[in-house]
Parts: sequence; C-alpha cells; structure tokens
Amino acid sequence: MFEPDSYEHDLLNRASLDHCVKCTICETQCPVAAVTPLFSGPKYVGPQAERFRHGASVDYSLDYCSSCGICTNVCPQGVHIAELNSVARAAMKKDHMPLRDQLISRTTFMGMAMTPVAPIANAVLKFKPARIAVEKVVGIHRDAAMPTAHTQTLVGWLRGRTAPKPGSRGKLIFFHGCAQNYFEVETGVKTIEVLEHLGFEVIVPKQGCCGLPLQSNGIFDTARVWVRKLVAQLREAPRDLPIISCSTSCGGMLKHEANEILGVKDADLLEVGGRMRDICEFLLEMYDNGELDTSDWLENELTVPYHAPCQLRGQNIGTPAVQLLELVPGITVVESGAYCCGIAGTYGLKKEKYEVAMKVGKPVFDKIVAVNEGIAACDSETCRWQIEQATSVPTVHPIAFIHQAMGLSKLPVTTGS
Amino acid sequence: MTNTVVIGAGLSGLVAAIRLARGGRTVTLLTKGLGGLQLSQGTIDVLGYAPERVDAPIDAIASLPATHPYRVLAPAAIAAGIAYAQELLGDRLVGNADRNVLLPTAVGALRPTCLVPPSMTAGVVTGGIRYVLVGFRQLKDFYPKLCAGNLERQTTPAGDPITARGIILDLPAIEDMADSSALAYARALDDPSYRAKLAAALKPLLQDGEVVGLPAILGHRDAGAHRHLEELLEHAVFEVPLPPPGVPGIRLNEALTALAKQAGVRIVAGAKVVGFESAGGKVISVGQATAGRIRQYAADAFVYAPGGFESGALTMDSYGTVTETIFGLPLHGLGPDLVTAGDPSDQALFRVGVGVDASMRVVDPAGHIPYSNLYAAGGILAGATRWTEKSGEGIALASAVAAADSILKGA
Amino acid sequence: MRSLDVDVVVIGGGSTGVGVVRDVAMRGYKAVLVDRVDLAQGTSGRFHGLLHSGGRYVVSDPNSARECAEENVIITRIQAGAVETTGGLFVTGPDDDPEFGDKFLAGAAANGVAATEISIAEALAREPRLNPRIKRAVAVQDGSVDGWQLVWTAAQSAKEYGAEILTYHKVTSIERDGDTVSAVMCHDAKTGEDVRIGCHFVLNCAGAWAGEIAAMAGCHDVQVVPGRGIMVAMNHRLVNSVVNRMIYPSDGDIIVPVHTVCIIGTTDVKVPDPDHLPIPHDEVQQMFDAGEVLVPGFRNARALHVWAGARPLVKDSRVGAGDTRHMSRGMSVMDHTERDGLKGLLTISGGKLTTYRLMAEHIVNAMEEQLGTPHPCRTADEVCPSGTTKDATYVPENYHVTHRLHDREHDRMQDPILCECELLSRRMFTDKLAELPNASLDDLRRQLRLGMGPCQGGFCTVRATGVAHEGGTVDTERATGLLRLFLKHRWLGLWPILYGDQVRQTALDNWIFSGTLDVEHLPEGAEVV
Repeated sequence: MFEPDSYEHDLLNRASLDHCVKCTICETQCPVAAVTPLFSGPKYVGPQAERFRHGASVDYSLDYCSSCGICTNVCPQGVHIAELNSVARAAMKKDHMPLRDQLISRTTFMGMAMTPVAPIANAVLKFKPARIAVEKVVGIHRDAAMPTAHTQTLVGWLRGRTAPKPGSRGKLIFFHGCAQNYFEVETGVKTIEVLEHLGFEVIVPKQGCCGLPLQSNGIFDTARVWVRKLVAQLREAPRDLPIISCSTSCGGMLKHEANEILGVKDADLLEVGGRMRDICEFLLEMYDNGELDTSDWLENELTVPYHAPCQLRGQNIGTPAVQLLELVPGITVVESGAYCCGIAGTYGLKKEKYEVAMKVGKPVFDKIVAVNEGIAACDSETCRWQIEQATSVPTVHPIAFIHQAMGLSKLPVTTGS
Repeated sequence: MTNTVVIGAGLSGLVAAIRLARGGRTVTLLTKGLGGLQLSQGTIDVLGYAPERVDAPIDAIASLPATHPYRVLAPAAIAAGIAYAQELLGDRLVGNADRNVLLPTAVGALRPTCLVPPSMTAGVVTGGIRYVLVGFRQLKDFYPKLCAGNLERQTTPAGDPITARGIILDLPAIEDMADSSALAYARALDDPSYRAKLAAALKPLLQDGEVVGLPAILGHRDAGAHRHLEELLEHAVFEVPLPPPGVPGIRLNEALTALAKQAGVRIVAGAKVVGFESAGGKVISVGQATAGRIRQYAADAFVYAPGGFESGALTMDSYGTVTETIFGLPLHGLGPDLVTAGDPSDQALFRVGVGVDASMRVVDPAGHIPYSNLYAAGGILAGATRWTEKSGEGIALASAVAAADSILKGA
Repeated sequence: MRSLDVDVVVIGGGSTGVGVVRDVAMRGYKAVLVDRVDLAQGTSGRFHGLLHSGGRYVVSDPNSARECAEENVIITRIQAGAVETTGGLFVTGPDDDPEFGDKFLAGAAANGVAATEISIAEALAREPRLNPRIKRAVAVQDGSVDGWQLVWTAAQSAKEYGAEILTYHKVTSIERDGDTVSAVMCHDAKTGEDVRIGCHFVLNCAGAWAGEIAAMAGCHDVQVVPGRGIMVAMNHRLVNSVVNRMIYPSDGDIIVPVHTVCIIGTTDVKVPDPDHLPIPHDEVQQMFDAGEVLVPGFRNARALHVWAGARPLVKDSRVGAGDTRHMSRGMSVMDHTERDGLKGLLTISGGKLTTYRLMAEHIVNAMEEQLGTPHPCRTADEVCPSGTTKDATYVPENYHVTHRLHDREHDRMQDPILCECELLSRRMFTDKLAELPNASLDDLRRQLRLGMGPCQGGFCTVRATGVAHEGGTVDTERATGLLRLFLKHRWLGLWPILYGDQVRQTALDNWIFSGTLDVEHLPEGAEVV
C-alpha cells in the first residue's frame, strides 16, 4: 500500500528527477507554458523544484500545471515530470482543498444527480445567470464546457434492450467510465454495437468511477479507494479477457496513472491495467493481425479533423485512431497538430484557469475549424465537450465513423471537406 | 502489418524511416523522446576538425582512423547521405558537401559546418564582413558583446580582420516577462506585428553595410519570418545557434517528422523499447513499454538509431561497466581509463559504441554478426567524438541511408 | 608594493582563521586576514557539511562530543543563515552490532548530547529512503552547515569591526625584528602586486599548511598531519536529516543533506602534501558501497561531484603514524616564544569546524596572555554579520532548503534565473560580483552555488560569463578565461565519479560547449586567478 511519503512512492517519482539533464525539451512542448508566464514550465516545476521541496509548499504557481502529461511523454530521459507535479500539487492542496474541486471530481455523483432531472439540469447548465452564480459561489467558469445529461444511462440502455445472440468471436469486457454512462451514452452504445457486429460478446460488469478527476485535483486518498473498488468490480468478470475502453482518460488511469501518480501497486490493478485496451488500439491491432475485415465498409468521402488527446499520448500507443479511420474508404484524417485542447480533465472548468485553457486549446480549435466545420473526431469525452463549446463543430469519438462504415448508423453531420 | 521497425526519432532514425517507407516498406518508428534535433543547432555538419580545421570535408575523410564510422561506410555513402538530406529538406538547407563554411558561435568562436538553413547564410565569415550582434535583455542565453568581442580578436581564414559590435535590446518576447527562452522569442517572431516591433526598435541602431546577427529565434513555424525581417530592416540578417532549445533544430525535426508521417511511417512515441525476442540469429520483435504492458512489435528488419550516451542507449554504471541497454550488443572501443582528467570533450568513453560493417549490420569487435537483420545508425556508432569533430549529422545521414538501402536491397 | 600596518595578521581563511580574525577585531585590535586563495578553500570548504551534535564522538572522544554539543547551539544561533536544523539519526545497519547503540546512548547522556531512541517505523516515516532493515535508530540534533556561508558571514562580521579580509594574498615570508614578529610579506595573485603588512602579532591558522607557514618564520618541524578524505555529493537529498551509522567512527558512515544535495563521506588516509589530494578509484567505490548500506539503491542515484579535503591533525603520541582518524580532534596552540625564540607568533593546529568559534576564543586568549591585554570574548553573543539589522530583537531564521524556491516564486517574472538548477537569480549574481569585482566564477560559485546543480555549469556558465562581461568590469579576454577555467575546475570533481545520469549530462554539456559553441576554438583567454 503506497502512501505519498512512502519509500516506494518516493522511489517512483522523486528518484526519477535524477534523470533530468535540463535539456529543455519538456518546456518546449508544454502547452500551458507556451501560452502563459504564470506557469514556469515542467522542467522548473518538476525535477528542478523538487530538489528544493521539503515540508510546506512554497511554489503555488505549480497549480497552473494542467496535468496533461505531455512533459513525461516527451522526456527522452524518463523523468516522471507530470507525476512529480501531481504529487507536489496534492501535497500543496492537502490542507485547503477548495469545495469546487471536491465537487467536480465526483463525476458519478454529478451524473447520478443530473440524470433523473436531465432536461432541467441541462437547461440550468446552459442558463447564463445560473452559470454566473455557480461561478461566483463554486468557481466553475461560466463559459466552461459542461457535460449534457441524458434521461437514460448506458446501463439503463443495456437493461432495456434485448441482448443480441452472442457471436463466436469470444468475450470482451467493456469499461464504460462515468462519461459514457451518464453523459455521452451514444459513444458507449456505438462501441458495444461495433464489437457485437464483429462477433464479440460484450460483458459489462457493474462498475463505478476510476477516480481520475479526484486524482487530478489532488484528492488522492479518496481516488485510491474508488480505483480499488473499480478494479475489484472489473475482476468480477472472467480474468483472461481483454477490457475495452472508449474513454481515453479513464482507460489511462487504469493502465498507468493510478500506479504512477497515486502509487497504487496492487497486483490486481496492474493486471487489470495490463488487459486494458483503448477501442481504437484494439481494433487496429486486430487489423494488423489480419483479423479485421474492412472489405465491406461503406465509403465516406470525408476529411476528418482529428485531435489526439494528451491522455492518449500518455499511453504510448501512437495514434491508432488515425490509422483506423483511414481504413474507411474515402476518409482522410488531418491531425490537429497540437497537444492539448485545454480542458485537461477538469482544469479548464476552473474560473482562474479558464482563460489559460482557452489559449492552450486555440491552435486545436483553429485547425479543426479550418479543416472541416462539419465534424471532428477525438477519443476523449471532456476534449469533445471542450472542442464543441469552443468551435461549435460537432465532435464525436472515432468509433462513430467505424459504426457508420459498418452500416450500423449514419452520422448526423457529415459536411464534406 | 509492419515489416520494418526503426528505433529512435533522431536525424538518423527519421531519415532511415522515410527512406524505407518511400522505398516500399511498412515502417513503424518507436521512440521515447522527440530526438536529438530538438537540441541541435540546425546545421548539417559533415567534418569540421580532423583535428585541424577542415575546409573540404569529404576530402578529409581519408585521414580519419579506420575505426571511424566514415571509414567503415562505403566512400560514396557520405555524399549519398548529404544528397538525401538535401532532397528531403529542399530549400531548408543551403550549401555544398564539398566545402565547409565558417559561422560565428554564440560566444564568438568561428565554427566550421557544411549545410546551413537560409536564415544563417548571411553570417558566413567572409573578408570585410561587419557584424552587429543583437541580443535581448530578456534572453539570457545570448551575450552579443561577448560574441562580438571574441570575433574581433580573430581573422578570417584569409587573414582579414573581422569587425563586430554588440547591442542589447530591451524587448521581451512576452509582455512583462523578464526571462524567456529562445523558443518563446521564435514563437513571438512568427507574428508579423512582433517582427515589425522588433524592426522598429532595431533599425535606427544599425549602421550601413552591417550584417545583423540575431540569436536563433527567427520564427518557429513561419518560414517567411527571416526574409520578412530582412525586408523590414533593409539589412542582411542571420541567426546564431544557441544552447537548447535549438530552434533551427526544432524546425528541421518538425519538417522531417511531417515527411515521415506523409510517407506512411507509423510513429509510436513516448515509451522506451525495453526488450526484444530473437531466434535463429535474427531479431523477431522488440518490446515497447506502453502504459500497462509491454507491446511487442515484430518485423523482418530493425534499424537501431537510438543515439549514444546522451540519450541513454549506451550507459556506464557506477562500477564502470558500459552496456548497450536494449540488445546488450557487444561494444567497440572498450578498454581501461575510459574517463580521465583532462578535456571532458575528449574522453575515450564517448568513442565507445556499436560497431557495424559496410552494410550497417551490427558486428562485434571480431567482425561476427550477432543478428543478421539488425542494423545500426547515428550516434550509437563507435569511433567518433562527434561534437569535437563536428560530424554528427554527416554520420547520422550516411549511416541511415546506408542502413535503409541495405534493407531495401533485401540483403 | 603596497604597505599596511596592523596589530594582528591572521594567516589562513578557513573557519579557524575567520573565527580568530572576528574575535580579534571584536576585542578592538586592528587586524588583517590573508589567504593565498579564496576563503574556505582548504579544509573548511571541503568538508562534509555537518554541524555536529557531538553524537559521533560520544564513545570515541567524549571531550569533543561535549564541545560539539555546546557549540552547535551557538553557531545555529549566531550564523543562522548558514545552518539548516535538519536533525539527525544514528542507525544500526543490518550487519552492525546493535549493542553499540547502548554504549552510544550512555555516552550521549554522560556528555550532554541530546539523543532519543525511536522506533524503526518512525525512522522510516521520517526518512523514506532509509534502509528498512536497520535495527535501531536514535534521533539527535545534528544540523548541516554551508562552510562558505559560515566563513563569509564571520568574515563580514570581522569587517564590521574594522578588519580587512585579503583573499588571494599568498604569504611569501614572515619578518622579524630581533625576537619579535614584525611583518608579513604577501603576493596579491589577482593584481600581481607585492604587499607588506607590518604587525606585531601573527596567528598562524593555516590548517594543513600551518607547518609551511611556521617554517617561513624560521620555526621548523611543526608537525601537522594531513588526513585526506573524499566526499561525494549526490544530486538530490536522498535523506533530509543527517544519517549516521551507529558504529565506532569509520569510513563512509555519514550522509549529510546540504542545500539541494546530500553528501556521503568520508575516508581517512594520511598524505604527505595537502596540495596533492588524489581521489582513488577504490575509495570512490567504497563510498558507493557505504551509501548502499544506509540508502538501498544508492548506486542508482546520481553522483554529482567529488572532492577531497585534508584534515589538519596535530601529531599525537597516542596513535600510530598511519592511522589519523583516531588522533585527537582537539586543537593545540603552539607558542613559538620558547620553542623557537620568536615572540608574537602562535600556531594553531587540529580542531573541527563545529567548534571553530571556541577554538578561536582559546587562540585569542592565548595571544592576549602573551600581550598582557585581556578582553572579554563576545563572539558567542553577537549574530553575524550584525550589521544586517540594528534591531536587537531580530532573530535570524535558519536556512531551509525551500528558501530559494520561495524567493524565485516571488521574483522570477522580474529577475531572470541564471543558474536554474540552483535557482540563482541574475540580481543575486550581479550583487555578489559588485562586491567582488575580481572574483573568478569559482569564487562566486562558492558563495552563490552557481554551477553546483545537476547540469554542473552546462547552461549557467555562459550566462554568468556573459552577464559579468556585460557589466563592464570584465573584458573579453578575461571573460573567455573565466569561462574556460570554470569548466576545467568543474571537470576535476566530475570525472572520478562519472556514471549513469551524469555521463548523459556530460555528453549534453559537451554538445553545448564543444558542438554548438566550439569553446575550444575561442581565441586565447586571459590567465585568470
């Protein structure tokens, strides 16, 4: 059991600061440092400042780190920069955690609260005076992208439908994450339908929140409790099956962040993380192994602007959505060319961070609008909400295009390139 | 299904991957970082010193020891590497493989190099040149007066004096920010209105006939920044390479990465290759440490271009044992006293590395090939102190092209 | 030739010398201190950074233990900024004899050294990197001290009382008028001038070089035995308290956190010449092995810098010629009046940094005995330097490792950071350079920590050189010489411990200096001192 000051945890992140040779590469890639001097940059806040830390926090500007994780990803030497920052931030906020951060970290509660009254909840969240009040009291920026609640959750949909006959391809476990259950049910539905179309039997065990929003807000203790609970729930299903996720960030939490940031080293978590696959990663691997037949996929003459979320990059699987989408005849993918849309989980919701977040995301927004105002693709739900809010371009998970190519649906907006 | 794996996204990795992909292979490039070009000065060195200053790099190759990578390669390979760089990068590089040019360094040394970006050509040392070096109060990595002071203490190769002076502008890259990196300035200079602001501050201070030397900040992604500035100032302008972040190197890196993606190279970045599987004297697959698991990438051929000691592919532990960290390859150049007092830039340790034959296959010191489908290129190669000789890019290009061609020939 | 006239010349700018010149000046004498190089470049700058609680000596040298305990408290108060109250631990290693702990506790109690046994769990909670297999742990009041800050603040205090501090003044001869000392002749290495300092008392505080100085006054065979020890600084604080092995004092049995690094040491080998202190390969390996006992995984941590210092030990008939560790660390004051027929010269040898103030008190008392003009010693009463505040209620704060991080948080938008590793701002650098316009980059480094972080000058050397040059007091030749000399000196402490991460750093630094800047092909720099 890791605690922040434990021997094992210290070894994990603090010790990695020794690898820093001050090459500046992380600083050149940090999306936040590029747009605001309020953040001194990952090299400074991570391996450099850590040599000076002991006891009470003195460098509050580290809170401007969005935890996008790009720094750790690009560091050639293996410094755990983002993880160092996250742990330092948790220590800094330990004794004075804002109520707002407690609220926005508990996605399940938000979902559970909003679903029964979805139309009202959605209306309130779009009602400007209400948002101004929320901003003053709780500190969530009035213009920040908030999710849309639905009357029916994914779990509700699963219960309500007639389950199809199981195919012969074998079983898979589906990890939906809070967003797909409460807020973007359609993405979860399409992912399951694609997998069933391919002949898989999809098992959806009862599952809670992975704790990622809690972790990124520094509420480590509760995050550990929640992620352990989720791991146990996922292990209720047969333990030799791959676990498929269409929520990049949550999949990443189980793959590596709960270990590297929270310091959870339970064998159960590690083995669940080892079985976790992002849906695009999974399908592309099938294709590489000659197991994905795309010969009957419907053509779609379309240039799709695509943004690879920072938390996808952190999984070090490349950008499988790009190759996967281009298997659809007619689709050309144009990447956003930038690392971060600015939302960074819950960062962009906060009133003191909102302006920074919008500056961070601007290159993404501009590129998407320039490529195709009709539709865009992105693997992470919070990024999709952010991009839609900023650009009004309908933004969907890449699986939606595969779902359409398989003849299972038609996308609502498909303006040509 | 990939049939070729390249490890490393430095100059040699990217160039090998592009050549292989354009040649019809399906290539996956695995890398931990963004490659060494991010730190580099953005010129193509072929051979600067051997150990005296070299004017004609290709001609000087013959004087190098037999263990030097340039001597292991077929003689035409070096020119082939340079030519390929020129083909890929087009008008991003100016120069001639047969002749070095001298450029001032940030502290005022005269440094030979071979191909340079167009944004540096005006600074080439010639008879009668009059430099004005321009620094910024908010840019702490360039001191124009020190640079000018040292330039004036030297002559051109022909013996002509060099005239130089330094001025400092009080112009931040970001408002109210006292401390900005070269990249922050370069991003600011992508904006035409910032360029106009700079020109307005600088132009009145210039004298007729001076060549303006700015630090390497002349735009990040706007290729027109340099020329626009020259128009605004009505003077020739060049940029002086700085310690990292190396903006001209970053530009080359982004250009080559885009070319790789266009050629269909699949790039998987952010994680180290930590192991491999082999059978029958061949590498079957390499394992990359992705989040949560080690993912195996199988292929017929592998190009190993991870860099040398600076990237950690070669390492020396606290007992003094030197290892190559992925394949455990037999190393060349080992011996006692690899690190001694004296000149840190001239240590036997940094000539230790992986040996190759003329086809770029890895060989052990006795000439045996451990894996018949494993090729090596770039900084991992033994036998050269690249920073002293000024030979890094030339070795990277020549070995990358040679390795790619070996694979394409199906050898 | 320059001439000065003073009452007392103190030779040697280590802790002993500055302690002495401060006390001398505070007692009203006109005094000058000379050192052939910068202050604290002898033993005082090459030690462990440990402000002893006395714990180390409770069994082997109880006298020392008691003195350390008392003086520790005084130094922590009067030179607060130089001292970090880290606290310390004595731990029994997995293969050490746990019974030694009992002797330790008894000795501590008997000699006024605060020591409390704690549980292993408590020790590990306090120090997560500590070896979980330790068998016993005792908490003590060790602290860490920056030797240069200690010496410079004492020197500043002396200056407030009218003393002159002349660094880079090498003593070339000591003159006498009949049977009394009359002058000290020096050569100023920075300006090339010779200097004559008329005086009637000389206090020879030259530590390991005390014998050489005494010989210049015609007093021969002053036997000071240099005991060489090596120390390795590790890149970050693997421990935040001083961690000692609870055994009879031995090699490599202490790790001390000092500023942003931690230092492991040390060894103890008799050498003939304090100016030639090799760093043997096997001793380096010995330090790494010793580190592994206290902090498992030590060899995977990053070794940053190594140096050797020479303890000046007075020859003591109780111990064998080769074993310098167990010589008395007490000091001796040698009066040359009877021994050599020379009045006005005292030679001081031995001692340790923690008790420097007490040593100085004894020495100045001995001087006043000879002169017949006693005054009270007030060095323990006054904070140094006192001139920083006139407020008598001012209680200076001890150093804490977070200080510079806190300060940069407040000024980084206005003041660029020159040495990023050590968070040194441009203003801090230019202020010190204004104080010491003839300083080399190493002189500045000692007081500012320039280049002492992981990149070892890779990024900050050019910045420091450039800023110094821009300021106008350093011309191009000198600037180029300063740059080269700084890099040359850094390498001396790097190559013997170069492995792992530091190899990569060296490669990157070479890419910068050689590859990008082509420093080796700069025109000749000036000969810089």
